[in-house]
Amino acid sequence: MFDLPEIPYLLTLLIVIPLIGAIVSLAMGGEKQKHAKTVAIAFSAVTLVLAVYLMLSNDYSVYTENYSWIETAGLKMSYILTVDGLSILMVFLTALLLFVVSIFSAHETDKPNYFFALLLAMEVGLMGVYMAGDYFLFYIMWEVTLIPMYFMISWFGGPRRHYAAIKFFIYTHVASLVMLIGIFALAFQAAQGGLVDFSFEAVLAGSGAFGETFQMLVFGLLFFGFAVKMPIVPFHTWLPDAHTEAPTAGSVLLAGVMLKMGSYGIIRVCLEALPQGAQQWQTIMFVVAIVAILYGAYACIAQKDLKKMVAFSSISHMGMVMLGIACLSDVGVEFAIFQMFAHGLVTAVLFMTCGMAGHNFGTREIPLLGGMAGKVPVYAAFMMFGFMASLGLPGLVGFWGEFGVIFAFYEYAYSIDMIWLIVFCLMSLMLTAGYYLWAMQRTLFGRLTDRIDTTHVHDVNKAEGIAMGIMCLMIAVFGLWPDLALSLISQYSTGLFGVI
Amino acid sequence: MFIEYTWLVPLIPALCFVLVGFFGNKMGKTGGGYLAIAGVAVSCLLSVLISYEFFTSAAYASPGYYTESMTWFTFPGGFEITIGFYVDTLACLMMMFASFISMLIFVYSLGYMGEEGKRKRRYFAEVALFVTGMLGLAISSSFIEMFIFWEIMGLCSYLLIGFWSFNHPEGDDKADNAASAAKKAFLVTRLGDVSLMGGLFVMLYAFGSLDYTVVFDAANIASVDHNLIIIACLLIFGGVIGKSAQFPLLDWLPDAMAGPTTVSALIHAATMVKAGVYLVARCFPIFCEASSVMLLVAVIGGVTMFFAATMAMNNMNIKKVLAYSTLSQLGYMFLALGAGGYMIAIGIETGDTALIAAGSLGYTAGCLHMVNHAFFKALLFLCSGSVIHSTGTEDMREMGGLGPKMKVTSITMLIGSLSIAGFPFFAGFFSKDLIIEQALHAADYGTAGWIFIVLWALAIITAFMTAFYMFRMWYMTFRGPEGPKTQHCHGESPKSMTVPLMVLSIFAFGFGFVLLFGFDGLLSINVDLATGQFFVGGGHAEGLEYLVEFFTNPWTYLTIVLVIAAIIIAKFMYDKRKINPGKFNKNGTSWLYRALASRWWFPELYNQVSWKLGYGVARGVDYVDRNIVDGAVNGLSNAVVGSGDILSKAQTGNVRNYAAVVLGGIVVLFVVILALFYFMGGL
Repeated sequence: MFDLPEIPYLLTLLIVIPLIGAIVSLAMGGEKQKHAKTVAIAFSAVTLVLAVYLMLSNDYSVYTENYSWIETAGLKMSYILTVDGLSILMVFLTALLLFVVSIFSAHETDKPNYFFALLLAMEVGLMGVYMAGDYFLFYIMWEVTLIPMYFMISWFGGPRRHYAAIKFFIYTHVASLVMLIGIFALAFQAAQGGLVDFSFEAVLAGSGAFGETFQMLVFGLLFFGFAVKMPIVPFHTWLPDAHTEAPTAGSVLLAGVMLKMGSYGIIRVCLEALPQGAQQWQTIMFVVAIVAILYGAYACIAQKDLKKMVAFSSISHMGMVMLGIACLSDVGVEFAIFQMFAHGLVTAVLFMTCGMAGHNFGTREIPLLGGMAGKVPVYAAFMMFGFMASLGLPGLVGFWGEFGVIFAFYEYAYSIDMIWLIVFCLMSLMLTAGYYLWAMQRTLFGRLTDRIDTTHVHDVNKAEGIAMGIMCLMIAVFGLWPDLALSLISQYSTGLFGVI
Repeated sequence: MFIEYTWLVPLIPALCFVLVGFFGNKMGKTGGGYLAIAGVAVSCLLSVLISYEFFTSAAYASPGYYTESMTWFTFPGGFEITIGFYVDTLACLMMMFASFISMLIFVYSLGYMGEEGKRKRRYFAEVALFVTGMLGLAISSSFIEMFIFWEIMGLCSYLLIGFWSFNHPEGDDKADNAASAAKKAFLVTRLGDVSLMGGLFVMLYAFGSLDYTVVFDAANIASVDHNLIIIACLLIFGGVIGKSAQFPLLDWLPDAMAGPTTVSALIHAATMVKAGVYLVARCFPIFCEASSVMLLVAVIGGVTMFFAATMAMNNMNIKKVLAYSTLSQLGYMFLALGAGGYMIAIGIETGDTALIAAGSLGYTAGCLHMVNHAFFKALLFLCSGSVIHSTGTEDMREMGGLGPKMKVTSITMLIGSLSIAGFPFFAGFFSKDLIIEQALHAADYGTAGWIFIVLWALAIITAFMTAFYMFRMWYMTFRGPEGPKTQHCHGESPKSMTVPLMVLSIFAFGFGFVLLFGFDGLLSINVDLATGQFFVGGGHAEGLEYLVEFFTNPWTYLTIVLVIAAIIIAKFMYDKRKINPGKFNKNGTSWLYRALASRWWFPELYNQVSWKLGYGVARGVDYVDRNIVDGAVNGLSNAVVGSGDILSKAQTGNVRNYAAVVLGGIVVLFVVILALFYFMGGL
């Protein structure tokens, strides 16, 4: 966007700064641990500034870093960091959410040095995943994100935290092993018996050697690996448990940026390297996407725990991302990426408000609440804003994601002469409005509940207000000016598949 | 010089929304009310200036609109999303009456909401945002922009219906009721909005843009598949049905009366529910592609008009009576637009210019009734608000004999009632009579013309019912024996409330006369048969000839006689109490009475559908999710680990077993992949 002077090693800095922050925070034991939050906010703020600087730069290619890492006669793994229109928004989102979450969690008193170290460690892994230009590095960073999240849930989580943490870890770990096999298959097949180079470029260059059957099978492996992360029904059951038990900050990061690793992987790896495989799997992708959208939405209606409801809504909205991807068209991919970004912004507010219900009211059970708007008006305003953004109120960011994706799907449905298919998508919009409004009716409005003690209920504190305020502002800005994100995305997605 | 700044019209209230929303309570005890009034007054003034400039400009003669728009962003494949403003006669009319009525209602709110304390900030911020939505809708230059404002109005409607959904001054039951009504209003209109959104997809793909100038261009319409346009029209009409509360999505509106009366007047009578009428009028160039679409519009309108009127007949809640009458009057508008559009569609098919001119009159009648209704229904609601404010009840049985105590309210409400009943020379008379005439006229054309005979008959019966229930309401409130609350009423409302009533009553009486001074020429729709291009305005104005036309038509007298008869019957029933209404409904036990009291079972239907299709399926999905999908996951892990509860394992920290699971998985998958490579000769 602007012609900004180049900062050397900028991409590495985006990984190293949070890493240093994590170490510093971890080292602040004993008396000093109450300053851990300052460390986290400072380091994540610097990262955010750099990420924004990067995003506003004209040309991302100058920042690519490429160093050989492990090189033997037969294998080559490199340290490649690179950024393009697809990853830049994810990098920005990661940096933004980390910063916001650090502010939000400023009142964390239980072992804050560990807590903030884990947060920053997660940022290291996430940044690595989104910037990696080498499959091996990608895989390592992918695994790096798992560990801090595992500890985040099992140390700072709710009553069933051990179950949820283990389930999260094993489920997604098995999936990433499947993905690893897929990656090996890609790299070895592309090498054709020569030097096995794990860089994205080398694999892409050798992708001519991917036969039809190979594409189909390897696409399946990788797709499974990524779909669990997204998550796609029926491989989603780790998510509601992980969310219900994770602390609020963990949930925000989990839903806001970690789930996007799955859809990012599908676009980056599956679509780029295996376009034929994608064609072969297209119908299945459509089916799973629509099932995820409707299944998630219906499951939301039945949930009693606010956070679990939002977790299922993530499944539904990530299904929307899947639907965009499945269209295999420029519009579809562009808006799938936009929807990823939009969902990241919106879901942060949702998890913050729903998580706060636990801290501030003592319970997140919808049937126990009621009439809270009179007690906590600021909280109610944020919750309503988040819900409205999530149900796709036009003028806010969520609308454009859904609008674009459904439009892409309409385009596809038109091309196969079955435009009635969009009825499923439209139905999901209706269901989404239904569960959110019903939840608001039962928690915020009506008579004040007498099922819990409401005398000690307190409203949003300053740190939480600032954190949510920033997110709401972003939701409005990108909603009113979607081109801010779309112009970046289109640099990547235009011409990827062409127009249907 | 003003028309370039049309975008300011919705922007000024938007600014007021932000300022009042954040700083309202620092602006004195009106909570930012004065700022909101000032903002909407500026918008109103600007609307008038813009309209004047437009009507005197060259753009009015040709092409009939003035538009400026820019590309907001584009989709890959050249699909353009534009944003801007589009000024034509319809837009001018819309923004003038919407901003004017809003301003009056804001002033009235100073008195009506006077006891709300700090909550006034929220009230004025939300109504300012609402006005932004309404004015934005009026001047939008593309469907997508229109849809955004359309939804903003829906949001404000939700927020304002639920204004008392917590800490209700009259207790918890009312709060629950308001919360439920707000949800219902949003969801039912959302159903329509989702349909409208579907229409937008169809059109965006077909036309490559949603800009009005592109979509309404005859050459573009001709190049698009005819069936797609019909599908788009039907989907758009689905949105209209939701927003304007037409059959079968009509039942949210009576519930919406749980909000403050000013909100009912502004949103649920004068402006937002007109958005659907506006949209149909706006979409004439595509709706007229098929006479069947227009027939549907007319039938839906006619059915709603009749059914809603029946439900008003025995309701005891003053606001609900008005709500049903709103539905019924909206039905009239759709009947008019449908009949006019039907004639235009057939006129285009047969190349009959006279028929197109006749159809244009239906368009004019629908739009005129829209404005007239905005005036008299806003007036009626505000009057009812004045009564409620004074007596503290909405139940008409507790009122009665209020006339002497509330002179201004009773007289202005009488004017409003006469106007809505269609008493000669009141505003409602002109538009309603024109509509009834149009319905009969349309019956002469096309194979489906006979349907219009039925609709015409319904329209006349409804006119009778309208006069009856309005005067039933008026007599029950202001005449007859005094009710229990009459003694304790606070007398006439303050000036801030009565002055808007008086201003509105002038319009409720007199606005119909615009028809005699060339309104039909200004707001007509014409088709250039050579190119098929539609354009608004520039039509032939019949002026005073209408008077001759009305009073030489024998059917006019039938309507007038029925209206007067209805008023007299109401007087004998509810003022003189000579006729006992109980005779007709077997004291509330007849099936018809029960059907009406349960609103033709619409609420029941909604509940059943949403409960079964929504919650029922959801419970099923939840069960499957817990027991089958997640059950399989837990079952698998138990089978592999070879022990009972995964939870207890996790808590004992027995991670080795999980490591075994992982390792086992890896081995299996490696074998699979190696086999795969072997099979394909990759290694």
